[in-house]
Amino acid sequence: MSTLRLRRAAPALLTAVALLALNACSGMESAPNSTFNHTTDFNTAIDGLWHRLLFWGTIVFVVVEVALLYTIFRFRKRPGSAPAKQIHGNVALEITWTAIPALILVLIAVPTVKTIFETQAPPPAGALTIEVTGYQWWWEFHYPEYGVTTANEVYIPVGRTTNFVLRTKDVLHSFWVPQMGGKRDLISNKTNSMWFTPRPDLGTNAWNGFCTEYCGSSHANMKFRLYTVQPDEFASWAAHQARPALPHDTTTAAAIPPAMVASASSAMQAPAMQAPASGYVFPASDLPEHVIPQTPIPATLRFDDALLAQGDAKRGETSFMMGGCIGCHVINGNPMALSRIGPDLTHFASRHTLGGGLFPNDDPTLARWIKNARAMKPGALMLVVGIGEYSPDLKGPVTAGLTDAQIADVVAYLRALK
Amino acid sequence: MASIVAPTTASHAADGNENTGIWSWITTVDHKRIGTLYLWTALFFFIVGGLEAVIIRTQLMQPNMGFVSAETYNQLFTMHGTTMVFLAVMPLSAAFFNYLIPLQIGARDVAFPRLNAFSYWVYLLGGIFITLPILFKVAPNGGWFGYAPLTTTRFSPGINIDFWVLGLQILGISSLAAAFNFITTIINLRAPGMSLMRMPMFTWMSFVVQFLVILAFPPITVALFFLLMDRFFGTNFYAIAAGADPLLWQHLFWVFGHPEVYILILPAFGLVSEVLPTFSKKPLFGYNVMVYSGIMIGFLGFGVWAHHMFAVGMGAVADSIFSLMTMLIAIPTGVKIFNWIATMWSGEVRFTVPMKFAIALIAMFTIGGISGVMHSSPPADLQQTDTYFVVAHFHYVLFGGSIMGIFAGIYFYYPKMTGRFMNEAQGNWHFWLNFIGMNLTFFPMHFSGLSGMSRRIYTYDAGQGWDLYNLLATYGTYLLVVATAVFVWNFIRSHTRGEVAGNDPWGAPTLEWSIPSPPPEYNFAQIPEVTSRYPLWDLKDPKMTAGIDHSHADAKVVTDSHAVPMHEETQRHTAKELGIPMPLPTAKPLFVALAMVVMFCGLLFLRNDMFAVAMTVTIGGAASMTVGLYLWLTSPLE
Repeated sequence: MSTLRLRRAAPALLTAVALLALNACSGMESAPNSTFNHTTDFNTAIDGLWHRLLFWGTIVFVVVEVALLYTIFRFRKRPGSAPAKQIHGNVALEITWTAIPALILVLIAVPTVKTIFETQAPPPAGALTIEVTGYQWWWEFHYPEYGVTTANEVYIPVGRTTNFVLRTKDVLHSFWVPQMGGKRDLISNKTNSMWFTPRPDLGTNAWNGFCTEYCGSSHANMKFRLYTVQPDEFASWAAHQARPALPHDTTTAAAIPPAMVASASSAMQAPAMQAPASGYVFPASDLPEHVIPQTPIPATLRFDDALLAQGDAKRGETSFMMGGCIGCHVINGNPMALSRIGPDLTHFASRHTLGGGLFPNDDPTLARWIKNARAMKPGALMLVVGIGEYSPDLKGPVTAGLTDAQIADVVAYLRALK
Repeated sequence: MASIVAPTTASHAADGNENTGIWSWITTVDHKRIGTLYLWTALFFFIVGGLEAVIIRTQLMQPNMGFVSAETYNQLFTMHGTTMVFLAVMPLSAAFFNYLIPLQIGARDVAFPRLNAFSYWVYLLGGIFITLPILFKVAPNGGWFGYAPLTTTRFSPGINIDFWVLGLQILGISSLAAAFNFITTIINLRAPGMSLMRMPMFTWMSFVVQFLVILAFPPITVALFFLLMDRFFGTNFYAIAAGADPLLWQHLFWVFGHPEVYILILPAFGLVSEVLPTFSKKPLFGYNVMVYSGIMIGFLGFGVWAHHMFAVGMGAVADSIFSLMTMLIAIPTGVKIFNWIATMWSGEVRFTVPMKFAIALIAMFTIGGISGVMHSSPPADLQQTDTYFVVAHFHYVLFGGSIMGIFAGIYFYYPKMTGRFMNEAQGNWHFWLNFIGMNLTFFPMHFSGLSGMSRRIYTYDAGQGWDLYNLLATYGTYLLVVATAVFVWNFIRSHTRGEVAGNDPWGAPTLEWSIPSPPPEYNFAQIPEVTSRYPLWDLKDPKMTAGIDHSHADAKVVTDSHAVPMHEETQRHTAKELGIPMPLPTAKPLFVALAMVVMFCGLLFLRNDMFAVAMTVTIGGAASMTVGLYLWLTSPLE
């Protein structure tokens, strides 16, 4: 009776497994964060090992399960079946099934050790160094070679090795772009590193990055985007990002008081001031669907979007300084904004996401984020600045903060930081 | 003794003057009753941990669900892991250690019956201590692994982690006390003739596990003590601002954590090694090798901890060594799998419910073992660690392995424990729902993990290639709820409605089946002399065991222990009638356990600036514990 049930259930189960496997392998568009693509030397090496593991794993699986199913079917008790043979063991057999797995393991172990040493070797000369710093719950990327600091979005050129130097300012995090290769932890009081080379023909593309070491409330919300771009695009991007962000263009040039520009220019390299207004930015229209954040905004968080049209960058800059934003954020080009507690906002407008890769960087979302980041991201350390909003720090409503109109101005100011 | 008396009743109540009131349970020192308490309590926590998983899976059913908040989710996954490891699977194994070890080795109780009661009460109180906070939304939220520095006061100032640190310390005391007790029992109380290499396989695997416990719990005790000192007294073991290396915690934790995996699985291996021979009507294939491989797994288990840390950057040499050690451990495990299959080969395989669970363990554990080898390779592991692929892996090991084995054990030993069978039809429903539900829940996680889904995230965006797998996993979990409900119904109802079972309902070979079901308080009226590995088959069907060594124990040993030749006991007496001295019931172990927990509770007030209260409670608890211990140790056992 039970074997009959088993026989009936088995095809259904096998079909389900086969369907799942089919779904997993049927084209990579259904797995935009797949770990199998040969996008980099690192991932190619890992995938080579994976295929070996999968091959031997499948063989062992089939051998064991077939042996098991055959045994229970063949030797099931039924009327007229032979009495059990009292066998206590068989040394030759047991040596065999000790030796064969050992042999298979050797076939796995040798390439494993080889790959360990290859992938953990020092990075090749001429590698681009990016210093990654993990914070609860966002990422800072610093390019010492270019003097660029940015947050939650990292650009790397294809065909050139990038060496990520990994540190954390607080708890443990882990840096992972599944499409690019393995992960590496960010350990307090320790510097880790990991490098890979995107294939030269990879093309300009955007990839999801995640924190994979549990790091507290918003662990799930600690994401980033990695853009693989062509070398010339990268050069243009880096050159622009290295410059101070000044609202140059016609609508916002007046936003910066002349005195301030003067003091800024004395602090910054003078040539940067005459440089062209824009550099390369990954085109928003080319962003694949799966890198565009979809986090819902709580319905209780209200903002009058009509105010956004009236936002003024000049007033916004004042509010940015008076509203306490400069307590945490640095903007290269704004001499008052020097604090490095929160993300660097220089060229903030050139980013596609905000809040640790959690939201699209559009005006209505940005306004709500400034108003009450805590309501949008659990545990977020950014202070609640919207007047009347509940602040967990004050354990009551914010009294000395920004009105919606002032927030609209700040949005306009940040939007000018191209 | 040889008279054939059909068992007419199957409840303790029929045992004349045997007391069944609640006070008798509170004061009991009988290993069988303590085993029963462990079983009920652990099943309760298994359901609690399961419900936590149901909430987790409901939150993950679809992208960006708002079923629970991030904070609640983090508490739930922390408590799901902590509950399943420390409050469900370990104590379910402990239920079998308690109930079976003395019966399997022909003893009347464990070596230290009152210490045994103490272990249980500490476990129960520790379990309540660590579980209650979830009702007040202040449950531990640092993960079951509690990585520093997230768990230090600077990053977790709340009371949540305090419950976790203190709770695990309390539970560790329970496990350690029990381990010393069982080791002493197994070494000293075996029936004459039962040499180590004649012990039933469950007792053997339990024996190995006790050594793992006494070697693995000290490192985590030290790790937790450091954290406790950091949190309550401002030391700097894990304070990164003072230059601490957070990897200290990881090493100490995993030196415990990996052997812990074998602490969770080896008892299930032992149970299955009892079930498979019985329902194949054949001895266990390669008994010696099964023993050696169990010991080998336990031994190697201490040399592989850092494979949990391939992503921390230990360097190529360390990664390679821990990788090779990890691969080695697959060999003795594989041997066990093949020996189990060979045990059934050319047998008469009966598909009873326990047998189905045992076969399912072989089938499912194999999958977990194979994925385990996949992440023994560090470069591949860098793509797999901390993703759902690992979640799939260890659930195939722990659910497909430990839980399947424990269910096999429950269905197998239920007639011995209660005198009644569990319902076969409902058992079959439970098995198939459980089997399908488990695969539906955990198999898709392999794919979501390899498609880039990290663990411990409370939500995710749509279109990442994970939607379908998460939906299936959640449906699977709901199926497991139905399966478990069928089991609980069957488990409770069969206590009174189950078909009455005799001494030896399955035709099993070991000593526990030679006495009435449920066993009388004294277990064996006369201790039997064991002449081979399969004493009951020696007695009932000598042809079956003709192929193995038989020998008699030293005559003096037999005389000294008043042992008699192997026999079946069918009559039920009281210990008093037979003149067998039994340990006196006592509530002192409970009192000491309670006082100890109170002592720990005092610390909770310390961090809320309630120094006077903290001191009063802690010192009061410590004083009560000392007095209780004094009274306990100065009162006679019998």
